[in-house]
Amino acid sequence: MNFAGFSLRNLSPKIGSPGSAVIASRFASNEVTFQTRPYKLHKLDSGPASETTLTKEDALDYYRKMQVIRRMETSAGNLYKEKKIRGFCHLYTGQEACAVGMVGAMDKEDAVITAYRCHGWTYLLGSTVLEVIAELTGKISGNVYGKGGSMHMYDKNFFGGNGIVGAQQPLGAGIAFAMKYRKQKNSCFTLYGDGAANQGQLFEATNMAKLWDLPCVFICENNGFGMGTSADRASASTDYYTRGDYVPGIWVDAMDILSVREATRFAKEYCNSGKGPLMMELATYRYSGHSI
Amino acid sequence: MLSISSRILSRNGLLPFSLRSLATASKSMTVREALNQALDEEIQHDENVIVLGEEVGRSEGNYSVTAGLNKKYGDRRVLDTPIEEIGFTGMAVGMSFEGLRPVCEFMTWNFALQSIDHIINSAAKTFYMSGGQINSPIVFRGPNGAAEGFAAQHTQDFSAWFASVPGLKVLSPYDSEDAKGLLKAAIRDDNPVVFLENELLYETAFPVSDAALKNDFVLPIGKAKVQVEGSDITIVSYSLGMKYSMQAQAELKKEGINAEVINLRSLRPFDFETVAKSVQKTGRLVTVETGWPFCGIGSEIAAQVFECPETYKSLKSPVLRVTGVDVPTPYADMIERASFPTSKNVVDTVRRSMKC
Repeated sequence: MNFAGFSLRNLSPKIGSPGSAVIASRFASNEVTFQTRPYKLHKLDSGPASETTLTKEDALDYYRKMQVIRRMETSAGNLYKEKKIRGFCHLYTGQEACAVGMVGAMDKEDAVITAYRCHGWTYLLGSTVLEVIAELTGKISGNVYGKGGSMHMYDKNFFGGNGIVGAQQPLGAGIAFAMKYRKQKNSCFTLYGDGAANQGQLFEATNMAKLWDLPCVFICENNGFGMGTSADRASASTDYYTRGDYVPGIWVDAMDILSVREATRFAKEYCNSGKGPLMMELATYRYSGHSI
Repeated sequence: MLSISSRILSRNGLLPFSLRSLATASKSMTVREALNQALDEEIQHDENVIVLGEEVGRSEGNYSVTAGLNKKYGDRRVLDTPIEEIGFTGMAVGMSFEGLRPVCEFMTWNFALQSIDHIINSAAKTFYMSGGQINSPIVFRGPNGAAEGFAAQHTQDFSAWFASVPGLKVLSPYDSEDAKGLLKAAIRDDNPVVFLENELLYETAFPVSDAALKNDFVLPIGKAKVQVEGSDITIVSYSLGMKYSMQAQAELKKEGINAEVINLRSLRPFDFETVAKSVQKTGRLVTVETGWPFCGIGSEIAAQVFECPETYKSLKSPVLRVTGVDVPTPYADMIERASFPTSKNVVDTVRRSMKC
């Protein structure tokens, strides 16, 4: 079975399987070195590291975070079915490795902006699970006092939570512009889906980001579907990492958290060196529908 | 009542319409010059202020409002954008989220139809949706509404649309003091401001007070100005509508009707108090705007006057509105002129109100 041209079997490497060889492990140490999943590059001579080291602390931290997000989203789904959550509820179930892997490489002064599948990001970027669920259920103890709901959650350097498909693309480029204007060594990670990858404003934002060398990383979380329509029925080209044309791009197997982390480290270094924007495609999958 | 200097001015055909500002008038300035001065001063005043838009830099602005600024401050402060309205508007809003204070120019407000999602959904609503965490100190500015010969797609008046949105401030200057003082206030305001200018007023010279020439001249947002005092009827208008209202006021004075003309300056927040005070004094109200009649600014003013018991009881005749004609703006000059109000329309409507 495949979606968007990738065979699903290759996307979940296990330790010891051909896809993710353990290079070295020492019984008495707290570190293991892994090979990352192969990347695909667009207009780049070299890409992210093919090897990475994982400490025990990080391993437990990432695992915990991904599990918390999985359970939080499952609870949200149940609460929605009980009608305790109203309106829209877009779950991140299945895509946890994208967010947790990226956060593993970002620093506190980097910015993130995404669309409405934002509960996991909200948790990772400063809110407690309680604050997220309180917001979803419209309580004053929620992330934004119950005024935003599922699609509009924010924090310091986290600009939402945006309801209009594609709007976050130029917003993110603008945030990157301001960072460069103030000579900050940070990047703005601007996330969007395979559906939003067809928005005209993405083309406009990448044009200006490249024109002015902005530290903006445009990240397509390709989960195979834009709402109910599969990627290949909506996009003339499903090679989203190449869609930036003159903006270099990387395709990442985003079911592997360490591959995501290494790609994000590469992206940060690329932007910090003033080379301008980068595009990343995180090949992932969502286990629920577009929204419940 | 008129000072010697104003009599000299009137003999030379330079009679200013703003009698109040005559008191300390020493210089005259076009609306364009006033806007340019405001931008120049604010760029100097705050490191975070940048101006962006199509043709604003090297070409000095399609209507020359940004003339000289790119030469003086460079691309870092005055930036030419590609023709990508939704893209650069979204970016400007993103810049404002991250602490810059962009002045985003639309060559005309018609092109902002492409950007409108970012004006409304990204800029206007974010402070609320984020529970106060993220604000957008941005100014969107450009010429709005009636022009000459640009036909339907380039001549729409968006006052009523933007004035209805909570989260925005909406300003519309008439004369040069309005233009300078309000634009500086808009740039200093921490909320998103929609600044609706009018192309036909750019070239008009108005007298300006000494205070207005200083670099700290800021007008309050949300306060209307009684442009001319009167006692028989209240005329409320803003921007280009003020030109016809002031001409009508002069005309009506000759036949013994003393109209009080109120220049709104600010559509949101709307200064109901000043309008109410005037209506309670005169008992009659005519609103003047160049936009379309249905759901226009005049509709809102009339509704508020009717809903308030004090103003309603003081009305001697129904509120009447002078608006543009309900039609996409035609091209040929005769029919174009027929689709916008004139001072004669205002005079006729005032007479109708006086007869009731």
